Amino acid sequence: MLEQIVFYSLSLLTLASALAVVLHRNTVHSSLFLGLSLAGVAGLFAALGADFIFAAQIMVYVSGVAVLVMFVVMLLGRASDLHLRQINERWMAALLVCGVAAVGLFKIARLHSATVATGAPRPSTHDIGRLFLGEWLVPFELISLVLLAALLGAVFFTRTENAR
Amino acid sequence: MIEHAYLIPLIPFAASLIMMFGAKEDPHSPVAWIGIGAMTICLGLSVSILAAAAGGQIPLPYEHNWHWFSFAASIGGKSFLYDMPIGVLIDGPAAVLLVVVTLVSLMVQIYSVAYMHEDTRYKRYFAFVSFFTASMLGLVVSSNILVGFMSWELMGLSSYLLIGFWFEKDGPTEAQKKAFMTTKLGDSGLYLALLFIFAKVGSFQITQIHQFINNGYMTGTVATVIAIGILFGAMGKSAQFPLFIWLPDAMEGPTPGSALIHAATMVAAGIFVVARLYFIFLAAPDAMLVAAWIGCITAFMAAAMALVSYDIKRVLAFSTVSQLGFMMCALGVGGYTSGLFHLTTHAFFKALLFLGAGSVIHSVHTNDMRLMGGLSKKMPITFVTMGAAILAIAGIPGTSGYYSKDMILANIYYANQPIFWIMLGTALMTAFYMSRLFILTFWGDDRDHEKHHHAHESPFLITGPLVLLAFLSLVSGYMLNRDDLVYRLLAKPTISAQAPAGHAPVHAEAASADAHAAPALSAAAAEHAEGGAHHEGHLPHWLHLALPFLVLGSIGLAFTLYKGPRYALADGLKSTFAPAFHLLDRRWFLDDAFDLLVVFCDKVAAVAFWIDANVVDRVFVDGWGLLTRVFAEISNLIDALFVDRTVDGFGGLSLDLGVGLRGLVKEGQVQEYLMYVAIAFSLAATLILTR
Amino acid sequence: MTAPLTLSHYMIVAGLLFLIGVFGALTRRNIIGILMSIELMFNAANINLVAFDRFLHPEGVTGQALALFVMTVAAAEIVVGLALLLAIYRGTDTVYAEDFNLLKG
Repeated sequence: MLEQIVFYSLSLLTLASALAVVLHRNTVHSSLFLGLSLAGVAGLFAALGADFIFAAQIMVYVSGVAVLVMFVVMLLGRASDLHLRQINERWMAALLVCGVAAVGLFKIARLHSATVATGAPRPSTHDIGRLFLGEWLVPFELISLVLLAALLGAVFFTRTENAR
Repeated sequence: MIEHAYLIPLIPFAASLIMMFGAKEDPHSPVAWIGIGAMTICLGLSVSILAAAAGGQIPLPYEHNWHWFSFAASIGGKSFLYDMPIGVLIDGPAAVLLVVVTLVSLMVQIYSVAYMHEDTRYKRYFAFVSFFTASMLGLVVSSNILVGFMSWELMGLSSYLLIGFWFEKDGPTEAQKKAFMTTKLGDSGLYLALLFIFAKVGSFQITQIHQFINNGYMTGTVATVIAIGILFGAMGKSAQFPLFIWLPDAMEGPTPGSALIHAATMVAAGIFVVARLYFIFLAAPDAMLVAAWIGCITAFMAAAMALVSYDIKRVLAFSTVSQLGFMMCALGVGGYTSGLFHLTTHAFFKALLFLGAGSVIHSVHTNDMRLMGGLSKKMPITFVTMGAAILAIAGIPGTSGYYSKDMILANIYYANQPIFWIMLGTALMTAFYMSRLFILTFWGDDRDHEKHHHAHESPFLITGPLVLLAFLSLVSGYMLNRDDLVYRLLAKPTISAQAPAGHAPVHAEAASADAHAAPALSAAAAEHAEGGAHHEGHLPHWLHLALPFLVLGSIGLAFTLYKGPRYALADGLKSTFAPAFHLLDRRWFLDDAFDLLVVFCDKVAAVAFWIDANVVDRVFVDGWGLLTRVFAEISNLIDALFVDRTVDGFGGLSLDLGVGLRGLVKEGQVQEYLMYVAIAFSLAATLILTR
Repeated sequence: MTAPLTLSHYMIVAGLLFLIGVFGALTRRNIIGILMSIELMFNAANINLVAFDRFLHPEGVTGQALALFVMTVAAAEIVVGLALLLAIYRGTDTVYAEDFNLLKG
């Protein structure tokens, strides 16, 4: 019973704040709701028993990405933005596309309407560590290279001409 | 030899990588000879395969697959193991096309050594050409349409690179974007068709799909939807109405590259894919009818535009579109053999025409035919070889174009009379505008003294390929037609479309008629059924005899109208009298007629577009009532943009429909592109999952 | 409400989150809004991955490890995206997607 309550409340939190992210006129509020939505996803991870992913989600997304987005919003925002429409004129077509895609997604989801979890969740940090430093060592190193490239790219794109 | 067929796409691919990454950029480097050497090897392999196949030493089709990957999937509680092999499938058309592609590419590369010698991005050009050819060869040999689709997309990429080769200028970058976007629009149809095929058949192997249809597992509606998707892809790549708008603009690239695009690779790919998956079309008569009409409309409209253009490359581009219309129409009326036969012969004379035009442009430094004239004495070899190509494309008896076009017209005659008369008119227009091009360029007096003075015959590296291609343009039709070789090599596939048990065998009659008219895949069966094929391959006697005279009359008309006076007048030679003025007058009437014709074409285009959208809509409404609204949205978008653009096109009375249709995606808006992606994927996901 | 939770519950939540993200990416005028919507889509994919891991293969952690990879790539994506946005903003003084049409053809 507790499980169901946790799931439904977390889902509601996640989806409601995601809607606010997409629909809110004020971008600052949007970014705050983004943090909330991401935290809701973190809660869903916890409900699924993925402890390490939960921690990573909190650290990377809620405290990293959301804050970064908020920082850029503050940096680039202007007071006039509050009076402009933030949704373009294609919203009806987009809604239609989403509706059509929803039909397909529900079809898929229905295939698993009888799949229930077996056994209690196990702590996964140890296993993930083993996997990353064992079998998946090469992808793990490669993804760190990706991060390094992103870092360099960010520095490169944001440097000003006179700061060479 | 045939067991090494997989090398044919791999060798030019490796060559292109070596040239791209292994060589330094230097206008005088010998790097081009790597590509030429690679292509020579491929040509040798292809010729040996074709010779063995023609002589009957190896049985076709030859198929060999290697393990690529496999995956298990569990759907609705049932688990499936999908196996995805990679391999080669050489049937008659593939064997013929391998020779055509490698030969034309080799000629183009040799020619380019001289043509591109001053360019700063010399090695890059040859790397692109090799890559382009490798992609096309990959499509031709692949036994798996997934790999084929990858090659197809790689071809789109290479055409983008080649058309925009001189990307410092605005024209090429515009043209390359237009070509890429337009063909991509068509590709989305092909992509959906592939998804459908996999969802239905569970395999991408061409032979397995054929087997699936032979067993009667595919219903007519599904086959029609898939066939229309494939047709849409072919309309993009092979420049069929209404997606031919990119081809005339693709002239912005280097001329030898245009020759490659027009003759061997890009535009042949669409026709080839339709032919490769022809059994799906055989199961979908409605789609065949659509293909026939699209081909017919394309051929007529393009020919009409070619009548009035003064840009030499543009006339050739329109003629390519027109000839592709002939092929598509032939495939649509069931003339599998004749369509592919024309693809083969057309490759030779169209490559020759483009290379010849390149030679002329190289010499006089202009595309405008009004500034040429009288070049026959300055450039005798180009003059003679181009003349051979003109004879071939006009369909003078004995040349290659005569055999293939005659066969197409015969097939259409027995299948669909209204289309036949339009196509006959188009064939005469072909003869007219090609002679017009020839006369304006080479005949009469020089109109621009300075340009004429500087004109000179091109070096041997340019004229050599011209001579070889001219030889092939003249004799390839006869060689292939002799002993009915073409019926054996390009034998129409059959489907034994027996309805599944429980249904009445409504198609039994049609199926037996098919089996009678078309030879099966094996050579023995082909000879058995030759009688039936013969009947379809010949026009009624009086038409057969009248056709050459009509063509000659058409050429004569071109001579009468374009020889001399008007251009002589422009040069200040006003010594002509009333007849000249009379002629001028006549020309005026002609121009008026052309204007009306073009306006009429545009009207026809609008109507056809409307019908198209409605037919497509109706098909989907029958199948998927749920999706009507989304399709209405899409067709609405296209319709609005099309009408909008047509109005713009009328403004300048531009003869170029391409300008009129410029850019279905016109805004440069990232979210608009994203919207197309989202539409495609939501449709794909939902169509497959709710099947 | 008291029926046992199944995989389809999580898939539906993830699907809805994804569609919200798609809608946002298609309609937000602000580039930052588009980037945020893309983050929502990444998170929807992650929910699916972790849920598959829990429901279909509870003996391994492959799904969770994949989710970590997705997270890493998403972080890299938003960093580069925001950096690009800053650079463009300096040049054009706007953050609205419809003004970014330098590649217009």
